[in-house]
Amino acid sequence: MSSLSLAYRSLRRRKVRTALTVSGIVTGVALILVLFSLTAGASTQTNGLVRSLSPAQITVTNSTRPSFPGGTGTGGFPGGGGSGFGGGGGFGGFFGTSETVSQSLADQIGNITGVYAATPQLSVTGYVGGSNAFVYGIDPSTYSEVTGGLNIVSGAMLSSSTIDQVVLGQTLAQSLNATVGSTVTIGQNSTGGDAFAVVGIYTAANSFEERSAYVPLASAQSLSGDAGKVTDIYVKANNPSYVSTIASEITSSIPGVNAVTAASSTLSASSLSGTLTTFFTVIGLVALLAGGFGVINTMIISTTERTREIGTLRAIGAKKGQVLRLFISEAFLIGLIGGAAGVLVGVVVALLLPSFTGAASATGFGGRGVGGLFGGALTPTLTPEVVLLSLCLGIVVGVLGGLYPAWRASRLDPVEALRHV
Amino acid sequence: MSETNAQAAIVQTVAISKQYKGGRIHVESRRGEGKDRIRLVPALNGIDMTVGKGEIIGIIGPSGSGKTTLLNMIGGLDRPSHGKVLVDNVDLSTFNDDQLADYRLRKIGFIFQFYNLIPTLTALENVELPMNLAGVPKQEQENHAYELLRTVGLESRVGHMPVEMSGGEQQRVAVARALANNPLVILGDEPTGDLDSKSAEALMDLIVSLRKDRKMTFVLVTHDPLVVVECDRVYSIRDGKILRTQTKAENKKIIGDERSMLSKLY
Repeated sequence: MSSLSLAYRSLRRRKVRTALTVSGIVTGVALILVLFSLTAGASTQTNGLVRSLSPAQITVTNSTRPSFPGGTGTGGFPGGGGSGFGGGGGFGGFFGTSETVSQSLADQIGNITGVYAATPQLSVTGYVGGSNAFVYGIDPSTYSEVTGGLNIVSGAMLSSSTIDQVVLGQTLAQSLNATVGSTVTIGQNSTGGDAFAVVGIYTAANSFEERSAYVPLASAQSLSGDAGKVTDIYVKANNPSYVSTIASEITSSIPGVNAVTAASSTLSASSLSGTLTTFFTVIGLVALLAGGFGVINTMIISTTERTREIGTLRAIGAKKGQVLRLFISEAFLIGLIGGAAGVLVGVVVALLLPSFTGAASATGFGGRGVGGLFGGALTPTLTPEVVLLSLCLGIVVGVLGGLYPAWRASRLDPVEALRHV
Repeated sequence: MSETNAQAAIVQTVAISKQYKGGRIHVESRRGEGKDRIRLVPALNGIDMTVGKGEIIGIIGPSGSGKTTLLNMIGGLDRPSHGKVLVDNVDLSTFNDDQLADYRLRKIGFIFQFYNLIPTLTALENVELPMNLAGVPKQEQENHAYELLRTVGLESRVGHMPVEMSGGEQQRVAVARALANNPLVILGDEPTGDLDSKSAEALMDLIVSLRKDRKMTFVLVTHDPLVVVECDRVYSIRDGKILRTQTKAENKKIIGDERSMLSKLY
């Protein structure tokens, strides 16, 4: 009969009280686990997301359009203020674009000193093969130079200026059952549209970025009726250290545009996720602290109730250390049970969470914008480290909560303790 | 008394005294309330007592006379302010706390008025507990505990929890537990105090047979005539001093008188 099995017996004897004490730890551990997994998910995903949202060093947009990530970091990029969106409920079922700038600005910016190249892009929403998706019109002659290009896994990139070609994201291609050589229709609604030959398939860091199609700029402009207009101009500098200088020169010399640098986007996004992490961690720690006080409380009641039992143990020859170990074992068990149950609850919550928030990320408002960012940020990442750390936290809180009551129990004078009624 | 048992004396108290800080020995002021803390209250005042091997010794006296304090001194639960307790010719005052705990574990068996079994453990596990604390191998613990429960007539109760047993049965489990590490002496604080007379008689029969079969030594604090008649010697304590010592024959006479007196009263 070890201290642990003795401890287990006395916990079992007071099932309700044990359950209540344990539930305090369960709450804290579950909360911490979800928060750990969320913030782990958030920091890995926001950085990737920001990089993929801002493929170039500088992104020039119409200044009336909120730029990502804007003041709060969650501004609607790229379609938040767009003319074609139906709001939070998803696509409006028609082609739409955001606020635009003139395509000719790309050449103008390309001539600024220190600019290596500039490439225009028109982002529109529409139907590809009957599924709603993002359609990007790009200039294949400069796109890859500036942004690094798409990661083509099958077929080829668009060949320069040829109309009616499309490169599909892998997820979209799979859902359409399309391969290189297939033909898909792209249009304003799920039934009509023009036929485009699939020339390539690309992959991206996450599947929602693969739910898009790249077509030549002119095709996108004719589909949306935005001749001569683009939504974004991506700019690459000769030298990365010129980036901020060039960005400010663009905004000062060209009225009505915004120039956002990738570094500033990443910075605000990571400071946002840093703030979230701190906030969540504080909540979780407060919950665990409350759980810890629950353990202290219960254990003090328990040792007081069992004063005579402790006196008996000491009288029949238990040393102070053995009494101490007995009660620390109880606290350890409370922590272990609470930690394990907390991990279970936390894992279930973490697994269920994307089904509440994930809908927004897949089809909801903005797609790549607000929903995209939050969809990404709220995708929990369950790693063995996160699970183990949460379990250990539960045990640590239990044992710490038990230290003082156990010490008190071990210090009882056996004569006094035996007299206790 | 001590002359006749000097050779085989296993417990000896030499002029032991004990002072408590004011009030602490009284139940009603146990929490140390009041301002008379510094005042020393004498609990024992120069007790000389000798216990020989295989004896059953009784300690009687009114409440607060120091009976339990004396028992606790012998049991290593409490230390005298003056004088010394020798057990097996070893002075307990040389022991530190852990050594005293070890002394209680291996040399002393305790039985209490309210049995004090561990409520979460079965009868068998309660008897195993002292062996467990002493590091006896598991199988040996179980065999020995079973054998002890058979000795006290409870082999059919090994798997029962304390709440499932009568007071008399619980007290016999407590005796088996006290015997677990084969102690030098078993100390009982009012062992029959919570038992009906039938159970009390059965317990005393058990104690007498353990003395006979195992040469086990008992020191029993009691009020109970049923216990007193079985004692080889009885120390009568009052105000922390030994008032007198009675032999078995004297006790039988006194108790016989008391019984006849009581029978006249009722």
